[in-house]
Amino acid sequence: MRRRALAAAGVAAGLALLLPATAAAHGLVGKQDLPLPRWLFAWGAAGVLIVSFVALATLWPSPRLQELRERAVWRVPGARALEVLGGAIGVVVFAVVVYAGLAGSQSPQENLAPTFIYYVFWVGIPFLSFLVGDVFRLFNPWRAIARAVAWAATRIAGRGALPEPLEYPRALGRWPAAIGILAFAWVELVYVDRDDPSTLAIMALAYAAVQLVGMSLYGIDPWLRNADPFGVTFSLLSRLAPLRWHDGRLLARRPLAGIVGLDPRPGTVALVCVMIGTTSFDGFSMGTVWNDVAPDLQRVFMDLGIGAETALQIAFTIGLVAMVLLVAALYRLGVEGMRTVGEAHSARELAGAFAHTLVPIALAYLVAHYFSALTYQAQAMAYLISDPLGDGSNLFGTASASIDYGWISANAIWYVQVGALIVGHVCGLILAHDRALALYRDVRAATRSQYWMLVVMVGFTSLGLWLLSAASQ
Amino acid sequence: MSGPVLAHIGHWWTSILYVAPVVVVVVWLALQSWRAKRRDPERR
Repeated sequence: MRRRALAAAGVAAGLALLLPATAAAHGLVGKQDLPLPRWLFAWGAAGVLIVSFVALATLWPSPRLQELRERAVWRVPGARALEVLGGAIGVVVFAVVVYAGLAGSQSPQENLAPTFIYYVFWVGIPFLSFLVGDVFRLFNPWRAIARAVAWAATRIAGRGALPEPLEYPRALGRWPAAIGILAFAWVELVYVDRDDPSTLAIMALAYAAVQLVGMSLYGIDPWLRNADPFGVTFSLLSRLAPLRWHDGRLLARRPLAGIVGLDPRPGTVALVCVMIGTTSFDGFSMGTVWNDVAPDLQRVFMDLGIGAETALQIAFTIGLVAMVLLVAALYRLGVEGMRTVGEAHSARELAGAFAHTLVPIALAYLVAHYFSALTYQAQAMAYLISDPLGDGSNLFGTASASIDYGWISANAIWYVQVGALIVGHVCGLILAHDRALALYRDVRAATRSQYWMLVVMVGFTSLGLWLLSAASQ
Repeated sequence: MSGPVLAHIGHWWTSILYVAPVVVVVVWLALQSWRAKRRDPERR
């Protein structure tokens, strides 16, 4: 009981810490004319979650998702050639983006590199991944290069002549991916030169070099499964898709079924918390409280003799890491709450067993925060592909295209965002309930164990809607 | 640091409404737990 009370107080305190601020998400938001106050949407969303929770407790008495069933719906003709073609396209696109960044105009609006990296790559691929499966694997340029090198080396040296790769350290798990995504978020949200095309191009080259070295040491697939931050993240989101590409075949499965089999190896919870926390900080960092606190924090470091710009980056770094830790703490509180049910499950075991329930939430945050950015900024690609260097060229005759901000209303964007948050959290609840049924001795114990996950889900929903609401004001 | 926050309370007080659902759920859970404990004192 005492542990439960502590968990309750912690959840409430954690959310209260986040409250007194307004924020703007990364996306562009027009003036909305909603029929209800925005906070009422948060109440409505919480109501949906509570009703879903009760419905699950009464109508879902046995696990239904724990066993993955897939059926082949299409054998892709020329799958091997398609894979080579996909990899070649990925390498060409990567080379064009890097070249544009290094040789093109250094204005972020005129150069292809910033828009491509931040919107098409970082936002667009996750959207595609949860719709049609792991598309990034097909186009992954560093995978394509590594496979081409391995193929050529085998041909030259002969099969069996090359040394076996090292065994990937099991204890390392997905930690490199979690740290890599945190580093990318740092560049996107903290680093002062984040929009500088040449800096981004150099970072992309450095990233590719690290991936190639990693794959050469530990093997292509073990490295890509664990340590390629973007590859691991996109693959994680693609597990939510009802489709999977495997061995030249397109497999269909029930929605959410793919994520249930997620192996909770070390770093998995950290990766998902980084995904949710960094998206949250993106919104929070635009709020009034952070803008009040950040200068004071900056001054502390300036008093230590650090320059103003570096001091501000340190302040933002602290905010970014603190937000990720807060998300991790909320999840941990949910786990501690589950332990109060009394069955002998350790916190580590429960944290791993329920890690997959956070993935739809990470996706919901991503959709909610970046949907508007994607709908508007992706249109910039129409003129950027014709003039990738920003030097006035018009390769495809679309250089004069512009962004149409009127194609979707601000209200429609809001409803998509709210819908994404509600659906994402209901999916999280379903996954958690199903896993609890498999883990606990009866429905009653399973339902009781999920009380605290319900608090966590309602908390994440309220936080997400609050961040969006503040961004819309 | 709290000075500016309090000075701008008019701007963000509606944010408190967003935490209300969490508080309601936590109170409801606490109530459930209390009732269960009253019914069965042996239960933790």
